[in-house]
Amino acid sequence: MQVKSKLLFLSSIAVIFVINLFSGSIDPYFYTVIIYIGINIILATSLNLINGYTGQFSLGHAGFMAIGGYLSIALSTYFAPFFQSTFGTGAFGNAITFIIVLLAGGTAAALVGLLVGVPSLRLKGDYLAITTLGFAEIIRVVIQNMDVIGASQGFRGVYIYANGVKSPQMVQDLVDMPTVFYAVPQFTNFFWTFLFVAIIIYYVSNLINSTYGRGFLSVKDDEIAAESMGINTTKFKVSAFVTGAFFAGIAGVLYGHFNLYLNPEDFNFLKSVEIVVMVILGGMGSMIGVIIAAVLLTILPEFLRSVSEYRMIIYALLLIIMMLTRPQGLFGFKVKLKKKK
Amino acid sequence: MRFGGLTCVDKVSTTVEDNELVGMIGPNGAGKTTVFNMITGVYDPSDGDILFNNESIVPYKPFEVSEKGISRTFQNIRLFKSLSVKDNVRVSFIKNIKSKYFSSVLQLPKFYKEEKEIDKKIDELLEMFDLLHEKDEYAVSLPYGDQRKLEIVRALATSPRLLLLDEPAAGMNPTEKVDLMNLIKKIKDLFHISILLIEHDMKVVMGVCERIFVLEYGKKIAEGKPEEIRNDEKVILAYLGDTHHA
Repeated sequence: MQVKSKLLFLSSIAVIFVINLFSGSIDPYFYTVIIYIGINIILATSLNLINGYTGQFSLGHAGFMAIGGYLSIALSTYFAPFFQSTFGTGAFGNAITFIIVLLAGGTAAALVGLLVGVPSLRLKGDYLAITTLGFAEIIRVVIQNMDVIGASQGFRGVYIYANGVKSPQMVQDLVDMPTVFYAVPQFTNFFWTFLFVAIIIYYVSNLINSTYGRGFLSVKDDEIAAESMGINTTKFKVSAFVTGAFFAGIAGVLYGHFNLYLNPEDFNFLKSVEIVVMVILGGMGSMIGVIIAAVLLTILPEFLRSVSEYRMIIYALLLIIMMLTRPQGLFGFKVKLKKKK
Repeated sequence: MRFGGLTCVDKVSTTVEDNELVGMIGPNGAGKTTVFNMITGVYDPSDGDILFNNESIVPYKPFEVSEKGISRTFQNIRLFKSLSVKDNVRVSFIKNIKSKYFSSVLQLPKFYKEEKEIDKKIDELLEMFDLLHEKDEYAVSLPYGDQRKLEIVRALATSPRLLLLDEPAAGMNPTEKVDLMNLIKKIKDLFHISILLIEHDMKVVMGVCERIFVLEYGKKIAEGKPEEIRNDEKVILAYLGDTHHA
């Protein structure tokens, strides 16, 4: 049973690797949707650890994603000469570069998560939601005002040396006279995205199903009882928050290195809400439900493209209908009480 | 203990010896549960001190108090509703386990070993309290009496040296109460721990406790052996009222 889960994990990585070999033949549009599905699964599953399993309502997940995305693209852009000279530009060198960038993005998000989490996790419910929302907005506004990473124009993983000054520029401006031109390659592919999908599913389910991980659920159910049974509730809340932030950062890195263009508006309040919706729709604390919700909510807007301007109305309507018919989420459970004898 | 200007528990001083079963009784609102909350660190007493093994436990948070070896149950049942019976007990083992965050994620060999040990201990405890057949049910779907028992099991699983039981027999019928009291006696001897229990039912307390103290309006009005308490005038007054005006 326990060995099985390890085998399943390793074999799924092998499958992902094999599928990746054929990814060239996938239609680019579908390919994009598939990558977004993967990224959204990572985001939703990581938020599920905070909101679903630990019961802390965080509304700032897009902020952590932004930190991971921006930091990693900045690294890939400005440290490109260093990475290239150290690891080379072959497939292997690129892989090492990307792993470093991924870990850096995730770690940065996790550190910020720690910084935000320690003071704000004393708050409960709505108050925590507002605090985390405020934090995500601060991140976005700060990014919007930082010229090194493109400010409100957005950040393309591109730089030029002109007159000895290194600066990020819009690609159109480069046509004339770049002395040195470098563009970050599209590191994110099917393999990397779904490798992390596999990792986070394995990671979170191992954690939650262990004795230690049951502590997260006990914090959600009853903090006072959990404390009285020797659970350091603050520690559990913060570690859920930091873990969630780490994977949101990873998702940001993957997103950044797929699009190769980041805009502060990609990480606004609506993005955070979108992730929360995935978690709620899937059923708080249901791994499979949240994954399916992430897939559905990524595909749904694409299907609705045919009705163009009514798209968001129908999308919102469907959400309302789903919530009315299954308030506990697609795969959420309600404890059924036994009939009294 | 004061809440704002209201003094809830005032100058209550008592001791619980090793492996002793002490009862705390008193009319509604006498401050019994508040005493429990002060001991377990839910409230910090405004004045005074609480010693456990000659160490003040006032500055500790509830989870630290639990680490020191004090465990409790709750007057209004507080089980973990999204967890099974087994997992409710499992949570109590967390404070002592060695495989914490990362070894749980990586599932190292020692993790499996420890999980198996915990599984075994949980089964033993549930067996002892005749709850084993319900181990995979959700805790809140158990009958009321079993939920009370499960709370005691969960508290015992933290391997306490002092167990605080807050009205363990509340809502039970007379036969169930007798069974429970025998069980509590058994727990005390089997686990060799001290027990402090709150109970309203005089018969129950008199039958099981070695020593009793009585609270009224936050003050201790009597303390002694059950038979002494039974004949104590102040206690009779508190419980039955003044005979002259009755």
